[in-house]
Parts: sequence; structure tokens; C-alpha cells
Amino acid sequence: MQSVALWFATFLLMVIMSVPGLWVVLSAFRPNREILAKPPVWVPTELTLANFGKIFGFGSEQVGIPVTSYFMNSMIIALTSTVIALIIGMAGGYAFARYRFRFKGGIFLGLMLFRAVPGIALSLPIFMIWSRLGLIDAKMGLIIVYVSLNVPFTIWLIDGFFRQIPMSLSEAAQVDGCTRWQAFWKIEFPLARSGIAAAGVFAFLTSWNEFALASQLTRSTDSKTLPVGLMDFTAQFTIDWAGMCAMAVIIIIPALIMTFLVQKHLIAGLTFGGVKG
Amino acid sequence: MAGITLAGVEKHYGRMRVVHGIDLDIAHEEFVVLVGPSGCGKSTTLRMIAGLEEITGGEIRIGERVVNDLPPRKRNISMVFQNYALYPHMNVRDNLGFGLKIAGQPQAVIAERVREAAEILGLSELLDRTPAELSGGQRQRVAMGRAIVRHPDAFLFDEPLSNLDAKLRGQMRAEIKKLHQKVKTTVVYVTHDQIEAMTLADRIVVMRDGYIEQVGTPMEVFNHPANTFVATFIGSPPMNLLPGRIEGGQVRLAGGEAVPVPARLAARVAEGLEVVLGIRPDDISPVGHGLGEVAEPADITLTVSIAEPLGMESLIYTTIAGQEVQAKLYGPRIVGPGEVLPFRLALERAHLFDAETGDTLEAR
Amino acid sequence: MSRAFQTGRVNWTPVLLLLPAIGVMMFVVALPLVFSLYTSLTSYRLTRPETIWDFVWFRNYERLFGNRDFWVAFGRTILFLTIALNVQLILGLGIALLINKITWGQRTLRTIMMFPMMFSPILVGFQFKFIFNDNIGILNNALQSLGWTDRAIPWLVDGKLAMFSIIFAEVWMSTSVFAILLLAGLFAMPRDPLEAAKVDGCNAWQVFRHITLPFLMPFAFIAMTIRSLDIARAYDIVKVMTDGGPAGRTELLWTMIARTAYQDARMGQANAAAYLSTILSIAFTYYFYLKLVESRRYMGGVQ
Repeated sequence: MQSVALWFATFLLMVIMSVPGLWVVLSAFRPNREILAKPPVWVPTELTLANFGKIFGFGSEQVGIPVTSYFMNSMIIALTSTVIALIIGMAGGYAFARYRFRFKGGIFLGLMLFRAVPGIALSLPIFMIWSRLGLIDAKMGLIIVYVSLNVPFTIWLIDGFFRQIPMSLSEAAQVDGCTRWQAFWKIEFPLARSGIAAAGVFAFLTSWNEFALASQLTRSTDSKTLPVGLMDFTAQFTIDWAGMCAMAVIIIIPALIMTFLVQKHLIAGLTFGGVKG
Repeated sequence: MAGITLAGVEKHYGRMRVVHGIDLDIAHEEFVVLVGPSGCGKSTTLRMIAGLEEITGGEIRIGERVVNDLPPRKRNISMVFQNYALYPHMNVRDNLGFGLKIAGQPQAVIAERVREAAEILGLSELLDRTPAELSGGQRQRVAMGRAIVRHPDAFLFDEPLSNLDAKLRGQMRAEIKKLHQKVKTTVVYVTHDQIEAMTLADRIVVMRDGYIEQVGTPMEVFNHPANTFVATFIGSPPMNLLPGRIEGGQVRLAGGEAVPVPARLAARVAEGLEVVLGIRPDDISPVGHGLGEVAEPADITLTVSIAEPLGMESLIYTTIAGQEVQAKLYGPRIVGPGEVLPFRLALERAHLFDAETGDTLEAR
Repeated sequence: MSRAFQTGRVNWTPVLLLLPAIGVMMFVVALPLVFSLYTSLTSYRLTRPETIWDFVWFRNYERLFGNRDFWVAFGRTILFLTIALNVQLILGLGIALLINKITWGQRTLRTIMMFPMMFSPILVGFQFKFIFNDNIGILNNALQSLGWTDRAIPWLVDGKLAMFSIIFAEVWMSTSVFAILLLAGLFAMPRDPLEAAKVDGCNAWQVFRHITLPFLMPFAFIAMTIRSLDIARAYDIVKVMTDGGPAGRTELLWTMIARTAYQDARMGQANAAAYLSTILSIAFTYYFYLKLVESRRYMGGVQ
């Protein structure tokens, strides 16, 4: 009896978790008229790739939304900011994990509190400053912002991963003839690699999914990202649900792949860095 | 040829002093064990020799070279860590060869030296495994192998056996001793276990609170402890300490009983001096169940509190002058609690310490 | 034994390693915040650039505090966060306990749990805008097909229902963070105290209340700390689903800031509101960070 209840609860949970997403994915492969049909069509009568063709500018029917440019912008901005945030975060995380210095706790907390500033609140002064610096509607402008958005959390994660590696490994390597720098690259870095990859994926997802800042700092196909581009649909006269669903699928696929690759390390990193202060 | 010399070596963390000006000369090929309770500064001292901790004051020389400001890699030493510190992402072969590879040795030399070290330590079958696939004892051997392949001037061991179970620890102790006989090199070995110190060392260095208490061969330290700390730290079960006072050529214990002053110390004690009489459990035994001939016997009747039979001997807990004392009974005889027996003290092996300073009254 | 590399003299290595991180945070966050503080004390309007020099002291704040709409939005934001975070914590705990009980398929379930975490908030908003759509949404369609109702329920058009829909979306998006971290806590939990408590005669509820729950607290605080870093993500959801409508009935502090700044172009006023929201977020993060540090102290004996 108890186990039946358990299974029912689990089933219900999974339905609520996965149905909304799956419904969007399914709708991306259906013609708009079927989505709009009254009474509703429950079992799809035809599945089509036309929605994807449409948003990428192929086929007869087209929409005036340059999804390809948005996709490229998103990729360039997310990848570049992730790489820079990882380099900065690795240096910072290593410092927190391996050295003692004054105000250590304070600096760590300070970084976290900076991260807590709401994107929309931060967008105001950045908007004003970036306009003067000519960084509005430029990829570089968004990259810089995303680096700062990702550095604190990257440090938190990477600090945790480095602290899991015993200090004596680096010491053994130094006794074995390595400089501190060699010991880092030959011993500590390879061991922390999967954790660093997880931190990288987290940073990538943050940049890839960000909206509040991007919506104010971008203007055109030069820099607009996918989440901002999705809002283009709402400006049109009638909402193209099928097209939006197709674009949603485009946004989710890279995120999906990356998360699956590192999910285990991501959870480990979040808990370790937090519990063992 | 490389001995190690420490001259006035100090270590401070901020205002906290961990090591207070240590002087020590370690000869070439000597096996020296630093022993003491945790927090005595022995590991810090070893890490300063390795170059993993900066030296706050004084001088360390390896051979003729002052190494104070040299990084670990330039000291030509190797070290075995408490948790072995094997590189988890490399197999045994690469772990062994890592130091040589960093030093830029040719492949052939690395392969030959790794093969040689693996043979000495019986690791030849395990070269392709990763550390995760090894047992505790095997990991220990790999850690030692990594130390010997580089033919360093000195080996440093930092409590290498403390992660092993008791049986394995005994085996590895013997292997380390054999290894030192095969590969004659200067060894500095840190442990908190006095049995390891006794069995392995050419010389023992007993440390406490950042000071050296005594340096000597195992038998010197055991037979002639410099003070009450060394007396109780070295030897198991520990030496019994009984406070008393010199009265008429006798040691009058706190409870009123008196025993003669050991003959070799008679000239060194003054009437009225407050002393501590030290005597090992092996030297207090029921009459007829002692350890060989007793030259200076002192007989005393005692009541057994508890006896722990260990087979061919028993450890007896009793009280002398109101103080708990451990004694040894040799032979298969079983005694029970409450039994009253005549005991004999072997005073020629007893010690006297100054009650105030804790230092021995023996000539040194 | 202490393993510090530090001695009497200053070690510059960590300083150098941290310099880029601190530099970028100063340039992109601290500096703009100072600028934002200044702007909040001027009557700056985007349409009249010279007004940035018009220093008005605390007039923006006075006007804000005298504005009923601000207080309504502020109160609604607090209410929104209180409800959403509590529901997330309780649901997350329930889900973690549920998955912990299940004997097989744990990994798969945990992977499905990660689903919402990788969704962009803007996507979550869109997804629920689609689902809650009164005309073509799957929810109304389902209710009608099942014959439970024959009218179109105005999920996003009625003020109260719209707020409910937004909270639902927010809970859907962020419950996983709690569930996954609490589940990690349950996996890491040592068995001995549990068994000791059972031997000592505790019933299931007492074991949960006195052993399991205290052990899970640090994990709950990690989740809270992580969540508190980006509570303002809810802006994205509201922006897509209702954009503060209908008639300001779902206006939160963050949508209000955006509206004042970019539609009304009243930057000075918007910066004042933005500053308050920043302080709110920082206080929130600080509080949970302290809780986390505090709860770690007694974890020391366990881990």
C-alpha cells in the first residue's frame, strides 16, 4: 500500500517536471494551425520540421526574426565569457583553496554579495556607463558583464574542487622536482579538471540563459542573444506559437547536452564548496 | 655523501612559536627518528628540512649546502607522506618515474630505474595499476619506491605507517628497515609511535613542545632517559613514577614506605632532596617470577588490583604508597584480584629524577 | 598541524591570483553601483542628458516612499519571495525524501530533476505562458476535454490567477535546486546516528525531526544561499508571462524598475528603486550565508 503511494507520488512528480518541457518540444514539430485548433487536437496528425526551417529562413514561409545571428551571438558571447571567467575563477579559486591571507572570509563574502545584485538593478548604471564607452549593442559589452556575473560562483565551485585534492600531492610533486607552477599543471589541474569543466558549464548556462541585462544592453543582430530574440515574437501582431516553440528547442538543446555531460560533478561541487567552509 | 645539520632552527606562525631553536647533526647514512606527541613540532621540523615550510630562524644544511632558501626541488631529497600522496591519475609506473621525468632523464634511464625500484619493493607485477587499485600496504610501497628511484641525498618519512592496521604496520616496519640496509641513505623519520622509533632508529630524537628532550640510540634513551617525560614516553607500558624524598640513604615514598637508593646513584643524592623514583613494570615482579637475576633487590608486599594475563606473562595493576603502579609477572602463573604477594624491585635498573625539574640525577 | 605558507612577511601570490577577480568585480559591479547611487540622488532622465548634474539629494527616495504603487509592488515582491521560497524548500525536501526512498531509478530521477535547472528563466516564462494561455493552453484544453469546466479560465488575465501562475512557474523552475542539494545531503548522511537513534527508541518522526533534519540544514542553507544569489531572475518570468499586467496586478519591484527606467526614462527615480532592491538582495544573501557558516560549525563533528 505504502509503496503504491510512493510510486504514484513519484509518477505525478515526474509528470509535472517533464510534461511542460515535452509539450513545448512536441509543439515545435506541429503546424501552428493544429496548435490553435478548437476543439484541441490531442494526438498530433502531422509532425513537421517546417517551424525550424521557418525560423532559420528556409522554405516558403519565413519569419522576420534572424535566429541564426542570435544563435551565433549567443554562442560567441557565452563561450568567450565562460573561458575568461574560468581563467579568472581558477586563479581566484586556487588562491582561496591553497593560501591563507588576511580578510580571506571577507573577500569571499564580498564576491558573493556582488553576485547577488539583481541583474535589472545592475543594468541601469551599466547601461549609462556602457553608452558612454560605446559598449551598448556590442558583444564585448555583454561579455564583460557576463564575466563578472560568473566569476564569484566559478570561484566558489573551483575552490571546492581544489580543496578536495590533498595538499600533499602538490607537495610531493615539488619534492619530486617540480616548481609550484609545474606541480599545479601536472598534478592539481588534471585532478580538478572535471570539476572545472562543471564550473565552466555552469558559467556557460548562466550566460546562455541571461535575459535582464542582455535585453537592455543589446539592440540589433550585432549582439542580440537568443533569450532576447525570443521576445521578438511577442512584438508581432499575432503570436506564432509554433515558431516560438521551435526557437525554445534551439535554446534548450546546447544547455541540455552540456548539463548531462557534467551533472554529477556539478552537484558534487555545489555541496562540497558549501559544506566544508 | 650527505648528512643533515640543523643549527638553531626556529619556526614561528605569527606570534606562535612551534619550534624553538633546534640543534641536530645527522650523519651520512644514519637513520634518525623524530618522535613525540602530536603538536611537538616534529612534522614541522621535517617539513622545514624538505623545504615545504619556510624557516623562521637558524640554518639547515644538507651535505655542505645551506638550503634555507632553496625550494624543495633543489634540495635533492625525497619524501614519503602520511597519506602516501600518490598521484591518482597516473599508474604505478608513472608515479615511480615522475620525478625522473621532471628532471628530464632519458626514457631508457627512467625505465631502468623504475624496474630496479619495483624489484627492490616487489612491485614489478603492479606497474600498470592505478593507486586506487592497490591495497594500503602496496600504496605504501609505491610511495617508498617513488622516494628511492631518484637516488636522493636523504629520505624523509612523515608518519608513513599511521594509516595502516596494526599487523601491516609491523610488516612495513620490517620492510623499511630492510630497505635502509639495501639502499644506504640518510633517513629522517617522523612518528608518534615509540615502538617504531625503538625498532627503526640508529638514533632517536625525542621532542616535546618544540624542544628536543633527548637524543640518543634507542638503548640509551630507554636505559638512561634524560627526564621524566622521556622516561614515560619511551617504553610500553610506561615507567612507573613514584614521588619521594631522600632520607638517611633511602627514598622515602609519599605513603611512608622506603626503598634504598640505587647504588650507582648513592653519591649523587643529597639528604632531604625531593625526588621521583622511576621504575619500569618489568623491574617490579612477584618473587620468583621476575626477569632474571636481581642485583639490588628490594622486597615489598603488594595487593593485586587487576591482572591481565598475556600468555607467558601477566600485567599486574597494584598500588605502592597510594599510587597506581604496573608490574610484570613472568611465567604462566595466574593471579587474581585481591591476592597479596611478595614483590621484588630490581633497583639497579631504577631511576631517580629531580622532582622539581624532572631531570635525571644520573651522571650524563 | 597548520599548513599555512604564510610567515612573517606578506605572501603576494594569493594577492596576484585574486587581482583579476577583484578587478573585474570592481569595474563591472562596484563602480556602477557607486554611479547608480549618485544617479539616484539626481533627477536624471534619459531624454534630457543634462539633468544628470541636477543633484536633488533624497527627493527620489522621498517620492518613492510616498508612492503607493511602490509599496504595493514592494509588498508583493516580499510576499512572492516568501511564498515561492517556502514552497520550494518544503517541496524540495519532500521530493528529496521521496527519491531517497525509491530503490531503483534514482539516477534517472535525479537527472530529470535537473531539467528545470538548465532552462533559461525566459524559457520557463514562455513555457508557462503557452501552457496557461486561456485560449490554446494545454491546461484549459485538458480541463475542458475532461469536462471539468466549459469556460476558458483566465489564468494570466485575472490578477490573482496570474500571480498564482507566476509563482507556479517560479516554483517549477527552482524547486530542483533544493531537491538536488537536499538529496545530496541525504546521500552523504552517516548511518550510525540514525541507527543509534532507533536503538535509543525514537520513532520515525522523532528520527527525522532530531537527526535527519538538523543534518540537512547546512544543505538547505547552501540551496538558500545559491537561490538568494539570483532571486531577481523572477523578473524574466514575469516579463514574459504578464509584463507586470494586468493593470499592474503582477508588478514586482524588478519590473517596476525596468518600466521606470526604460519606458518612462526616469533614470534617477529608477536608480533609487534599484538601490533598494540591491540592498534587499544583498541582505538576503548575507543572512543565509551567515546561517550557512553557523550551521557548518556543528557539522564539523560529522564530516
